[in-house]
Amino acid sequence: MTNLAEAAPARAGAAPERTPARPAALRKRRRREALWFYLFASPWIIGFLVFLFGPMVASIYLSLTDWDSFTTPNFVGLDNYRQLLTDDPVFWIALKNTIYYSAVSVPLGLLLGLWLANLLNKQVRARKLFRTLIYLPTLVPLVAAAMVFKMVLAPSGPLNDVLGLAGIPGPTWLLDPTWVKPSLILLSVWGVGSATVLLLAAMKGIPRELYEAAEVDGASPTRQFWSITVPQLTPIIFFNLVMGLIGAFQVFSQVYVLTRGQTQAPEEASITLVPFLFDQAFAFYHMGYASAISWLLFLVILGFTLIAFRTARKWVFYETEVK
Amino acid sequence: MTIDRARVTRRGFLGLGAAAGIITLTACGSDSDGDSGSSSSGGGKLVMTVWGGETDKTAYQKRIDLLVKKYPDISITLQLIPSETYEQKVQTMIAGGSGPDIMQVAENVNVYSSKNQLSPLDDLAKGAGIDLEQRFGPIGSLYSYKDKVYAIPDRSGAMIVYYNKTLFAAKGIQPPTADWTWDTTLSAFKELTVPGKQWGFAGAGWWAQWWSLAYQNGGKIIDDSGKPAANSDPVIEAVQWAGDLVNKHGVVPTQKQFADFGADVGGDGAFAQGKIAVNATGFWAISGLLKSNIEWDIAPLWRGKQQAVTAFGSGLAVSRTAKNPEAALKAIEFLTAPDAQKVIIETGQDVPANLDVQKSDAFLKPTWMTKPVDMDVFGESSSFIYRAPFIPEWNEMQKAFENGLNNVWIGKEDARTALNAIQKRLETIIKPAG
Repeated sequence: MTNLAEAAPARAGAAPERTPARPAALRKRRRREALWFYLFASPWIIGFLVFLFGPMVASIYLSLTDWDSFTTPNFVGLDNYRQLLTDDPVFWIALKNTIYYSAVSVPLGLLLGLWLANLLNKQVRARKLFRTLIYLPTLVPLVAAAMVFKMVLAPSGPLNDVLGLAGIPGPTWLLDPTWVKPSLILLSVWGVGSATVLLLAAMKGIPRELYEAAEVDGASPTRQFWSITVPQLTPIIFFNLVMGLIGAFQVFSQVYVLTRGQTQAPEEASITLVPFLFDQAFAFYHMGYASAISWLLFLVILGFTLIAFRTARKWVFYETEVK
Repeated sequence: MTIDRARVTRRGFLGLGAAAGIITLTACGSDSDGDSGSSSSGGGKLVMTVWGGETDKTAYQKRIDLLVKKYPDISITLQLIPSETYEQKVQTMIAGGSGPDIMQVAENVNVYSSKNQLSPLDDLAKGAGIDLEQRFGPIGSLYSYKDKVYAIPDRSGAMIVYYNKTLFAAKGIQPPTADWTWDTTLSAFKELTVPGKQWGFAGAGWWAQWWSLAYQNGGKIIDDSGKPAANSDPVIEAVQWAGDLVNKHGVVPTQKQFADFGADVGGDGAFAQGKIAVNATGFWAISGLLKSNIEWDIAPLWRGKQQAVTAFGSGLAVSRTAKNPEAALKAIEFLTAPDAQKVIIETGQDVPANLDVQKSDAFLKPTWMTKPVDMDVFGESSSFIYRAPFIPEWNEMQKAFENGLNNVWIGKEDARTALNAIQKRLETIIKPAG
């Protein structure tokens, strides 16, 4: 509160030139406004400090200890990081798998989302029904969807039956080291509905005039799509890209449900960073080590997000932006 | 642009913070170990955590009701936690400073005892008048760490063999006995197998199964000095024999065939479907099989060079933070005495650890039993039980075996190669108890 009290007069002090008449009243109002601001923002601020910032700082410290979640942690310096980076093959396998998963599932999700949104934007019969159907899978709890996928992907399951009709001998999907990651990606595509809805909304927001002008100039529908629709959508595509990257790097439930259970998937081929972290923290009681993994994961995501932002300047188009 | 950038990175930051937060939230209360929020004044208000489902809840609650009737000054709040999340939940409770007073433990007992989370019970047990040897036989000190007992056995039953009577009769094979050797067993499996349709055996890929074979063969997973011995010859032979059942002899369904039985259908489920003639598992399969259409009975596990079989069970431990360990032990004494232990079998939950109850009619002819099942098998098997190494790194060891042996079960690697690799991994995981 002291900061507030100091800040308010300082600002008011700059104001007298314009409103010399009632500086005191203005000051009071400003202060009141600031008070309301902090009052309304406080749930978030408190929530952030208590539930995010505090634990985050704590986890930095814990990542430098050998804490087992029961006994007093011993400070071990950078040992956890050193061991992860130089002495733990599973970490590198998990990282590699995670990058593979993200590199395929995110672009694939975007492309499919764009395609579906474009289809839904056409004047088709029962458009609302299609829109609902495409969004519906997003509402199915992930674990339930994963259980269904497990059945669909069974070696003699429906998917392989269909492939068999086309004369293709289907792989054993979840049991095959080469196919387990594509199976996970397949499940990620299941949730493409949310990206589709965002893209569709943005498509609807593109001014008609642009298309009319293009039509007058004789642009084909394809040309219109690539020269008007896509550039206008880039901010949303970019948003989906970044959120998708973050989500993909943190993939957990799908991996957990699909690859563990009675019939186990080959772990080397399927483990990703968060399940690895989960095992270390809650099955092996290496909380300190797990904290170190979470910070390395943070750095990895931060790195990829920064790359996305760097390149964004080249391809993301904002209408209000002056170039 | 700059605004957007700030927003998105902040989101990224938050998303990650959430991940980090999950891990670290538990840290918040870790310093308040001393005061367990669960128990109040010196009286007997206890919190007890157990895992399981509805049957377990009924069984434990009935036993607690009996206890409270006898000792009105003790009251127990039962917390039933689903098995899959039990360890995480208890870990969080303890780290948060509100650990249970009495907790159910099993193979993972020394995760807690080695980290100083359980009270040693030797003196307390004496004080409460429990003679472990007399009450539970050889498993009395099963849950020990460095010569101190940390949990009192509560439920305990050997792994047993379930066999499909119809399939056995059709081939004219006598029911399995404890005297079957590996050779007898294998030839029976072969006869019972109809390729692609019916299999002799559900497999031995689970630790409880192949460890039995390893110990039958004279092997040990952890040697007497506390070092891993996963690649000793007897263990390699046992694993290879189990792997050959799938890949060489085809008497056990492959993973692929299991996956086709349905999502998460394992040996127990496939046996109930009548697709498999023999399944080795614990007591828990009985209640499900009573509802199935197949004709079945149980038998003790076969033998190798010697008799050996894994025991399933759990014990009750007193946590270090329990306000009133004496009251907790008094409660455990009652819960493991005949009156309360009878409830375990009456509700069809499990095999009671108390030997007197195991020999009583209450166990041999349970009221709910609708099929002629030879319950003597549990008593017969109890003398075959080997002492499994409940090391503090239990979970990591199991994970190393699961991952390392997968290639053996699918026939991509021989047992020696896989176990040599596992042995290396175990040597980094397991620090010999000093």
